[in-house]
Amino acid sequence: MTALPLVEAVGLAKRYPVLGQRGDRASALWDVLRGRKPRRVVSVLEGVGFQVYAGESLAIIGENGAGKSTLLKLVTGVLTPSEGHVHTRGTVGALLELGAGFHPELSGRDNVRLSAALHGMDADALAAKLPEIEAFADIGAYLDEPVKHYSSGMVVRLGFAVIAAVRPALLITDEVLAVGDEAFQRKCIRWLDEYLASGGTLLLVSHSLYHVQKLCRSAIWLHEGRVAAQGDVFEVSQRYLAAQEARLKGESAAPASLAQPEYSVESVTINGVAGNGAVVVAAGGQVVQDVVLRSRDGRAPVMLNGWVRGDGTPVYGVSSEMDAVPAQALGDGCFRFRLCFDALPLLPGSYRLRASALDTEGLRLFDTLDREISVTGQAREYGTVRLPHRWLGPGE
Amino acid sequence: MVPATRAVFRELLRRELEERYRGSLLGAAWLVLLPLLQLAVLAWVFGQLMPARAHAGTLPYAAFLALGLWPWNLFANAANRGVTALTDNAALIGKVAVPHTLYVDARVAASVAVDLAGFVLVLAVLLAFGVGLAPWGLPGAAAGLAVVAVYALAAARLLAVLQVFLRDIAAVIGQLLVLGFFLTPILYDRSLLPAAAAKWLALNPLVAPVETVRRALSGDAPDWVALGLSLAVGAVLLLLANAFFRRARSHLEDFL
Repeated sequence: MTALPLVEAVGLAKRYPVLGQRGDRASALWDVLRGRKPRRVVSVLEGVGFQVYAGESLAIIGENGAGKSTLLKLVTGVLTPSEGHVHTRGTVGALLELGAGFHPELSGRDNVRLSAALHGMDADALAAKLPEIEAFADIGAYLDEPVKHYSSGMVVRLGFAVIAAVRPALLITDEVLAVGDEAFQRKCIRWLDEYLASGGTLLLVSHSLYHVQKLCRSAIWLHEGRVAAQGDVFEVSQRYLAAQEARLKGESAAPASLAQPEYSVESVTINGVAGNGAVVVAAGGQVVQDVVLRSRDGRAPVMLNGWVRGDGTPVYGVSSEMDAVPAQALGDGCFRFRLCFDALPLLPGSYRLRASALDTEGLRLFDTLDREISVTGQAREYGTVRLPHRWLGPGE
Repeated sequence: MVPATRAVFRELLRRELEERYRGSLLGAAWLVLLPLLQLAVLAWVFGQLMPARAHAGTLPYAAFLALGLWPWNLFANAANRGVTALTDNAALIGKVAVPHTLYVDARVAASVAVDLAGFVLVLAVLLAFGVGLAPWGLPGAAAGLAVVAVYALAAARLLAVLQVFLRDIAAVIGQLLVLGFFLTPILYDRSLLPAAAAKWLALNPLVAPVETVRRALSGDAPDWVALGLSLAVGAVLLLLANAFFRRARSHLEDFL
C-alpha cells in the first residue's frame, strides 16, 4: 500500500458572504451569476493545512467559533473552500451533528435507511447490517417510532450505530461524544478504541481534552480561524490549556495561581490528634473534627464535612452553609470550624473523614483533605450506620 | 464521501412520497382518492351545475378539462414543490455531501409520479364511463407528457437554486403558476380565442405539450412540429438550469 495521506488539506480558507442586509442576498446572487467573488466576506478560516495518514488520528481543538466545525465541513465536502483545496481518499463517514438529516416525522428505521445510503451503503449491505445497527443503538421498539419522539440520547445512539456499521476508512466526528449517557459514551469510546486499533482513522473535534488525548495522537489547535499549534497531541493540548488559563487569569481581576487555590484546608485535627495519620475511634464514641481553612482574599470560606467508607462510598456530608454556622476568624486569612459528632452511629470498619474548603457562596470546591478513621468495636449488624430503632411488643 | 447515489435517490424519493400523506387516516389511499374526487367535482360542476361546452368536439366538458388539467398539474405541482426542495433539506445539505440535484430531482420525480398515476387513473375512469377517448393516441400523449416533465425538471432546478438566494421566489411562484394556468388552454380551447390572442398564446411553450396530450387522446393528430419546438426550448432551458446549478453549487451552503 502506498503511503498517500487519506486527507490532504492545503492552504484552506473559508470566507462567508455577509448577509446582514436585505439587499445582500440579491447582490450575492448577481455575483454568483456573473461568476464573481462575493464582495463583503467574513473570514472563518485562513491558511489551514494538514495531512492525515491511514491509521492516524487527528484532533482539532480550540475555543468556540475558532472554525473547527467549518474545517470538518470542508474536509467532508459539504462546504467548498474559498481558497486552497482538500483531497480525501477512501470512504469518509461524517458525524457532524447528532442525527444529521434525521427527519423528525419519519421512523428511526426509515431514517437509518436514508442515513446508510448517504454514507454509501446500498440496500443489500444495509439489510445485512441492520441487526448490528439495532443491537448497537439498543433503543428497542423505538426504532419504529417517529424520530421526533426520541430523546437526544436516542438520536445519538442511532446516528452512531449507523456509523459503526458503515465503518468508514476515515471517521469525522464533531463533538458527538458529549451527548448520551455514560454507558453509551463508554460504548462509543470502546468502539472508537477498537476502530483505531484495527487501522481506522479519526478526525475528531472535541472540547474534552480527555477524549482528545485518549483517542488521538496528533492535534491542531485552531485560534480565530488560524492554526495556533500543530503536532503531538499532548504538546498541543498543553499549550492550548496554558493559553486558556492565561486568558481566564486575564479575565478575573484577582491574580490566581494553580499552586495555591483561593481557599485551602490548612489543618484537620481529629479528637485532638493533628497531622495526617489515621485515628482510631470506638463505635458510639465522640468525634470532634477541628478544621482550619485558609482564605487568600480574607473572605470567610464554607467548610464541607464528609464521611466516606474505605471503598469510597459516601456516607454522610454536611456543610457549614447548610447549618448556617459562621466561620471563626483566626486572623491572617485563617478560619476555624469545629464539628462534633456525639455517639458516632457508624458500624465498625474503616472510614475517611473529609474536610473541604468552599468559597464564601458555598458553590465551588477548592481543596479537600481526607483523614483515615477506623471505627473499632463489635457489632453483629449489617451495613454502615446504626439506625435508631426499636422493636414493638404485642400491645403497642 | 461517496454516497450510494442511487440508494440515496431512492430513499429521498420514498421520503417525499411517505411525507405526503403521513399522519392522515387514509394514508396512501389518498393517491387514488384525490384524483377521483377532483374528477367527480369537475364532472358535477360542469356537467350539472353549469353545463359548459368547450369546443365543437364530442368530449364532455369535464373530460376535456381533465385532459388539459392533469398535464398542466404535472408541471405546476413539480415546479411548486421543487422550489423549496433545497431550502427544506438545508439541514441535510449542511451535513452530508450529496449532489444537490438529487434533492430537487427526487422531489420532482415524486410529484410527477403521483400526478402521472392520477392521470392514468382518471383516464381509466373516463374510459369506464364510456367517454370516447382514443387509446391509439397514447404514444402521442406520452410524448406530450415527457415534454411537460422536461419543463418541470428545468423549472424546479432553476427555481430551487433561486429560492436559496432569494426566499421571495416561493411566494411569487404560486401566483405565476395561476397566471400560467389561464395562459394555457386548459379551461378553453385555443380555437375559441380571438385570433390576435391565440397568436400570443403560442409563445407559451407549455401550450404545445398540453394540447398534444389532449389532441392525441381525443383522437386528433398532434402538432408534432410545435411539440418538437417546445421540446427544443425545454431542453435549452434544462441546460441553462443545469449550468446555473453548477455555478451556484459551491455557494449554496453559504446561503442556506
